[in-house]
Amino acid sequence: MAEQSAAGLIGARVRRQEDPRLLTGRAQFVDDVRLPGMLNAAVLRSPVPHARIVRIDVSRALAHPGVYAVVTGDEVRAAVATPQPVIWRMIPDQRMTDGYPLAVGKARYVGQGIAAVAATDRATAEDALELIDVEYDELPAVTTLEEALAEDAPKLYDEWPDNVSCRATIPKGDVEAAFAEADVVVRETFRFARQMGTPLETRGVVATWDPFTDRLDVWLSTQSPNLARDLFGEVLDVSVDKIRVRVPDVGGGFGNKFDFYGEEVVAAILSKRTGRPVKLIEDRLESFVANAHSREQKVEVELAATSDGRITGLRGTVYAVLGGQLATVGIGPCWLTAALMSGPYDIANVEASVVGVVTNRSPYGSYRGWGQPKSNFAHERMVDLLARRLDMDPLDVRRKNLIPADAFPYASPVFFYDGGRYDECLGLATDAVRDRGWLRRRDEARGSGRTVGIGYSFHVEITALGPSRIMNMAGLQHSAFDEEVVRIDSSGRVTVYTGQTALGQGIQTALAQVAAEQLGVPLDDVTVVVGDTDTCPYTGYGTGASRAASLGGGAVLTASKRLKEKVLRIAGGMLEAAPEDLVVADGRISVVGVPDRSVSMAEIGDAAYRRINGRLPEDEVPTLEEREVFDPPNVAFSYGCTAVLADVDRETGEVRLLDYLIAHDCGTVINPLIVDGQLHGGAAQAIGGALYEELVYGPDGQIQTTTFMDYLMPTASEIPAFELLHMETPAEHIPGGFKGMGEGGTIGGAAAIAGAVDDALADLGVATVALPITPPRLLAAMRNGQVQA
Amino acid sequence: MKAAAFDYHRATSVDDAIQQLGAADDAKVLAGGQSLVPLLAMRLARPTVLVDLNRLADLAYVRRENGELAIGALTRHRTVETAELVRRDVPLLADALAHVGHVTIRNRGTIGGSIAHGDPAAELPAVAVALDATFRLRGPGGERSVAAGDFFFGYLMTALEPDELLTEIRWPVLPQGTGCAVEELTRRNGDFALVAVFAALTMGADGVCTQARISVAGAAAAPLRADNAEQALIGSRVSAADAGAAADRLAAATDPPNDIHAPADYRREMAAVLGRRAIQRAWAQANRTNAGE
Ligand SMILES: Cc1cc2nc3c(=O)[nH]c(=O)nc-3n(C[C@H](O)[C@H](O)[C@H](O)COP(=O)(O)OP(=O)(O)OC[C@H]3O[C@@H](n4cnc5c(N)ncnc54)[C@H](O)[C@@H]3O)c2cc1C
Repeated sequence: MAEQSAAGLIGARVRRQEDPRLLTGRAQFVDDVRLPGMLNAAVLRSPVPHARIVRIDVSRALAHPGVYAVVTGDEVRAAVATPQPVIWRMIPDQRMTDGYPLAVGKARYVGQGIAAVAATDRATAEDALELIDVEYDELPAVTTLEEALAEDAPKLYDEWPDNVSCRATIPKGDVEAAFAEADVVVRETFRFARQMGTPLETRGVVATWDPFTDRLDVWLSTQSPNLARDLFGEVLDVSVDKIRVRVPDVGGGFGNKFDFYGEEVVAAILSKRTGRPVKLIEDRLESFVANAHSREQKVEVELAATSDGRITGLRGTVYAVLGGQLATVGIGPCWLTAALMSGPYDIANVEASVVGVVTNRSPYGSYRGWGQPKSNFAHERMVDLLARRLDMDPLDVRRKNLIPADAFPYASPVFFYDGGRYDECLGLATDAVRDRGWLRRRDEARGSGRTVGIGYSFHVEITALGPSRIMNMAGLQHSAFDEEVVRIDSSGRVTVYTGQTALGQGIQTALAQVAAEQLGVPLDDVTVVVGDTDTCPYTGYGTGASRAASLGGGAVLTASKRLKEKVLRIAGGMLEAAPEDLVVADGRISVVGVPDRSVSMAEIGDAAYRRINGRLPEDEVPTLEEREVFDPPNVAFSYGCTAVLADVDRETGEVRLLDYLIAHDCGTVINPLIVDGQLHGGAAQAIGGALYEELVYGPDGQIQTTTFMDYLMPTASEIPAFELLHMETPAEHIPGGFKGMGEGGTIGGAAAIAGAVDDALADLGVATVALPITPPRLLAAMRNGQVQA
Repeated sequence: MKAAAFDYHRATSVDDAIQQLGAADDAKVLAGGQSLVPLLAMRLARPTVLVDLNRLADLAYVRRENGELAIGALTRHRTVETAELVRRDVPLLADALAHVGHVTIRNRGTIGGSIAHGDPAAELPAVAVALDATFRLRGPGGERSVAAGDFFFGYLMTALEPDELLTEIRWPVLPQGTGCAVEELTRRNGDFALVAVFAALTMGADGVCTQARISVAGAAAAPLRADNAEQALIGSRVSAADAGAAADRLAAATDPPNDIHAPADYRREMAAVLGRRAIQRAWAQANRTNAGE
């Protein structure tokens, strides 16, 4: 890689340090971990959606050659100290499901783990699964939200009065009055299909729990190694000093790998039983039932507005279609849909409720966007519908209601939005649409069999999750700070140790850029070490919630600044100059105006670690290392405007995306290449969510989508070229001004696509209120007005 | 998942393969593996023996014989798709192959595998039915030929006996003045068709349609020959109205499946839309061919 000069590295479009290893096949993923004596495990999964487990007979499986151990739910329960942890508990009186890594007593969804086998190899383990006899006493299943809420519905949890896990309402202002006084009220109900993040690398774990030393050594494909270590400690009742979690390269996370799954615990228990390392890799088929599902909700929304388009009130209810047990993040994502229902708009009166309902489906967990794609879809579609009702331009309705730049910090129902120039961002997008001739392209297509439409959406994105105390008060059973360590070694090279994980997103490059710029060294002199709880510092939460670059970047920046001061003090001694008279560039420290009087970073390293006498000032301790813990005073909101040009075939209902642009502000940009990549990937997932992906359950509670032939991810052929337009409004409360932006592309896409479809079919009065928009559904909508699920 | 255990036999000749197929209880032929290997991995197919054809080089060829095009069963999709002879003599086959999965799949998948697998949504069985291809099968009792129209029974069901090998597919050469079109509706590029229509229309010197060959994939439990639509077009000048009426007949003959990707009604309606488009496009091409373009 070409040497990059340090000055201006923050903001530079430099190539990613990760890519040579990723692109040449040198990366190591969890399935590449092979330990001596290692066994392979497989999980027997429930074939029925709801049943009492009467009897499990594992004797034939145990007798099968090559099988070392078989565990059932009851045995796992006896081996753990607590149920599977649910770390988001924002609703204090929520009924918890207290599930275990394998089903105990009852199976509550197709695919729930029932028993597990460890054997010499995976094929043998799968052979043994076929030899486990389970007697199920099948119970009537509730497979949809409506069934679960019906009077006299079968109950998933006998001790509950119904299938409702929680209800909560988030109020702001006086909604009753707003609706009573409104000139117009617009109501709509939106439906979101079940979808999930589908990383190319499925989940996987290799656990070694030594029965003699009681040390648990885990290789895990995760986004949150510190959290996983603490949860292993809680569940297995082992102090965390005995637990090491290592994370190799991760082939995509998308939130699913933030969560802490039962298989991880099962692998550890199997390891202790057998005294051998146990590998448990989720295969693609089982990933469709065992990996956290997401997105499925029904959202009812009402807007109150004046006749000139000013929104005065918003009322909404989010029905969370939870699965048969709560996952790590509990009601979290669905609660966030309600909490952010008003989005970027200045609405004085808001009342958003969330109702969590359990069903006989897989658990609901994290997926990029974490509830926000639904809040975005709801408020953006409502703005479009309000405009239609008032016969106004939807862009005018947006302009009228966006939070003005001088209103920040802005108190939304739950969060303080830190700052932004929303109106300018909208203008950036609309100007680009005009300059690129989209309006002309739309007009030219009018009246033909294929018509073209333009859709917009404006999104806010919560990032930089913290501060710890407030998140604890909100119900998070974990912290949300970030700790970073920056070290210069004896050769003058820099190593950053981080608790963040490398998921392919480019975090190693981003942190290296921050450290290199601050320390004045070339980018290639910085190495970023990730993925080991024994050697890397602690990050609260994990690499999720768009926090790594923002909080990690902020902490690395502060630590590097302090480290540079020490470098300058040492150099000052060696050069007989005051530190303030020194400059650092390209790894050399020199006296201002006298470039010949200089020392290299390598000489400073040598002086701090090895040949100390006479070079390291008497009052300095040896070594060059700084540690910074950053617990941000507030979250940071990124935002953006997506515009989509789409064409609809009126005979087939097919939607083709012709053009796609995003105007975006995530504060100070560390590396535009990475920001672009995040937006591209996020938008690709938004396209999948809007047009293709759906986890389908039959009326019998069986999942019907367990391969990529049924669960349709968009491919390169379905994804248009993206154009990105950047604005930078630095976050004042974060060193460096960085906001996060891992999810924005995903949040804003679907509403813009739906808007474009509706616009293309404006003469038919189509209103898209359900996702995904499939050709048969769209064709039906052309006849009856609404795209329904 | 991992496949259940099986024995593996690499066939050294066609006779050897047939003998192996007869010797085992539940043997299966392995060609390109693009359909079979996923079935094995999901344990949906659990053969006791796999008989691998991939070393039988004499089963891979494209040649002109007796006014027909003969293609060996082991010839890869991509080889057929790009063969000059196929482009010239049976262009509908080349057009259709471009819709089979993606290039990487076509590099591996074989023409015999597609026919033997008999997926009703697949392109090759439907094209074979439209063009009246014949299949040469060999078993322990010798060789026989089966017309494409008699070969496909129902979902993944064919006239092939368990101990028989498909060795060759013979395609009649399309007459001068023929225009071809494939109209396929998929959720994504490269997916199996929700519905696909294959049309080859021949224009006589007087500008009327002298021959029509039309079939539909994804519209029934087996590939569907749209003879009623063909009859409606022969002798006509294939006006827009003619095309629409024929396509409606075609759609009426379908009995499409209902699945998560599309309801049956939608597929039937699309058969009419795609049928009309395919007929019109094929006819426009026949027109250009006749005009000497
Ligand atoms: C991602 C993907 C997308 C695809 N998309 C499409 C598509 O859009 N359209 C489409 O048509 N196909 C599609 N396919 C399937 C592909 O075309 C297969 O290659 C083809 O169906 C089977 O050919 P094969 O040579 O791979 O056969 P194999 O998978 O090896 O065998 C298939 C079956 O045929 C039998 N068989 C094979 N050869 C013979 C023979 N000579 N005699 C007797 N029996 C035999 C086998 O025993 C087996 O039962 C797709 C496949 C994949 C993986």
